[in-house]
Amino acid sequence: MKGRVGSAVRFGIAGTVGLALFLAISADAQTRRFERHFTVQGKPVVTVQNATGRIQVRAWDKQEVMIVGQRGSTNVETDTEQVGNRIEIATRVTSGSGNSDALRADYDISVPVESELQVRSDSGNVTVDSVHGEMSFDTVAADLALQDVEGYLVVKSIGGSTICTRCAGRFDGTSISGNFQLLQPTMDNVRVQTSSGNILFDGSFMNRGIYVLKNYSGTIEVRFSSSDSFDVRATSLYGNVINQAPVVPDRHNMPPPRIGLAKSLFGTMNDGRAKVELSSFNGTIKISKRE
Amino acid sequence: MSPIQCAQFERMLEEQPGDPLSAAAAEHMKGCVDCRVLWSDIEAIHTAGMEWGSEEVEPPEYLWTSLRQQLESEGLIRERPAQRGWLATWFGAAPRWTLAGASVSLLLIAAMLAGYRMSDFRTSAALPVHLSISAGRPKLVAADLGKTLDGDFKRVFDSLPEGNPALASSLRENLGIVDNLIAVCEESVRQQPDDPMARDYLYGAYEQKAVLLAAATDRSALEGQ
Repeated sequence: MKGRVGSAVRFGIAGTVGLALFLAISADAQTRRFERHFTVQGKPVVTVQNATGRIQVRAWDKQEVMIVGQRGSTNVETDTEQVGNRIEIATRVTSGSGNSDALRADYDISVPVESELQVRSDSGNVTVDSVHGEMSFDTVAADLALQDVEGYLVVKSIGGSTICTRCAGRFDGTSISGNFQLLQPTMDNVRVQTSSGNILFDGSFMNRGIYVLKNYSGTIEVRFSSSDSFDVRATSLYGNVINQAPVVPDRHNMPPPRIGLAKSLFGTMNDGRAKVELSSFNGTIKISKRE
Repeated sequence: MSPIQCAQFERMLEEQPGDPLSAAAAEHMKGCVDCRVLWSDIEAIHTAGMEWGSEEVEPPEYLWTSLRQQLESEGLIRERPAQRGWLATWFGAAPRWTLAGASVSLLLIAAMLAGYRMSDFRTSAALPVHLSISAGRPKLVAADLGKTLDGDFKRVFDSLPEGNPALASSLRENLGIVDNLIAVCEESVRQQPDDPMARDYLYGAYEQKAVLLAAATDRSALEGQ
């Protein structure tokens, strides 16, 4: 009997300590979580600078910018500022000590559909959903996922990859080792350059569109449908060009450039309304028919 | 029209930057592969300079300063205060610090080109910058510039924040990729010195290295605050 009582007491103490610990951790997490609201008129410009952590931006139907943030520790602070329609969000390291988890900050940001974004992130993922407006992204290792966005999109990355799904407007992307995937785009001006990354363009070439894709190594693949109309110039200096498009010699009297020993393809499909330039140093260029 | 020699051709390029070629120079270029390649390179660098000038590259100021001091101490460069340089002509103004990175890149490219084809020049090599590089030591210039740049990379990498290993790791990894690209492109240019496409890729690889240095410097300064 005595043993049973002692056991119950010990269990009770352990439970109390556990509960206290849970509450303390929870309270600590609460202090590191924050939410801020900014009312805007018209089209806001939202700037985010976050060295480490996830940034997720979604459009909503309110004329308000809402930031829900979670700091990894008290070693980082988030500064926010609103000046008219300009809203800035910046993560600041207050104490350099700590591992990368302690120095990270995650943000969920809701913005009006018509918004401009300027995002700078070093590591951690960045996702943007359904926002319309000019956007620029400056990343090192952070991967970028854009979905249903529209506008002039500028991506500068060092090693991070970019996936752009159902993007519209204009795209200008550069990277050293990052991959680029443009899936179902509605874009009439696309320029992508990566050194060792792969490039995939899987969508229709628009009339009067210009598509310039370049890398050093890796694969450049564009997929066409039979109704697409484009002039194509594909050159790989030391790699290969694999073509499934039924192109004919250029109908616009443009002479092919002198290309030495490079593997190349020059020609027109249908009326050649779009211009497609693909070039690689020693990578493979594929012009594939969409299944 | 009297025929001109390579040295005169180079001098004309140096003294009349941006001007169209004279009939005599054009005639000489037709029959001289070296001068034709030189002219082609200068045009390519000119084009690259125009593009970079519009991008407002912001490299570290100390990089340009240290590079300049090193070149001056070795007697490899000298100022031409009275003459408006090619760089200034291209960018429409006196060289600014914000263009220093592009200038460094141009110097590197020029030095590399010098290393490939000008090692036997007897006279001053004409380079498209407001500094002139003395002849006879172009390979040394390329090697020294390479060392300077590598030293700057080391300094910048050493000052990256310790709390973000992914950042440092990515930058180092990409530096390796770019260095490898440069090596491959250099080999390509050596094998096909007349191929403009091979040279374009080499210029591009150097540009990537400059971009990487600027990004790394930016991160180290920003996060070191």
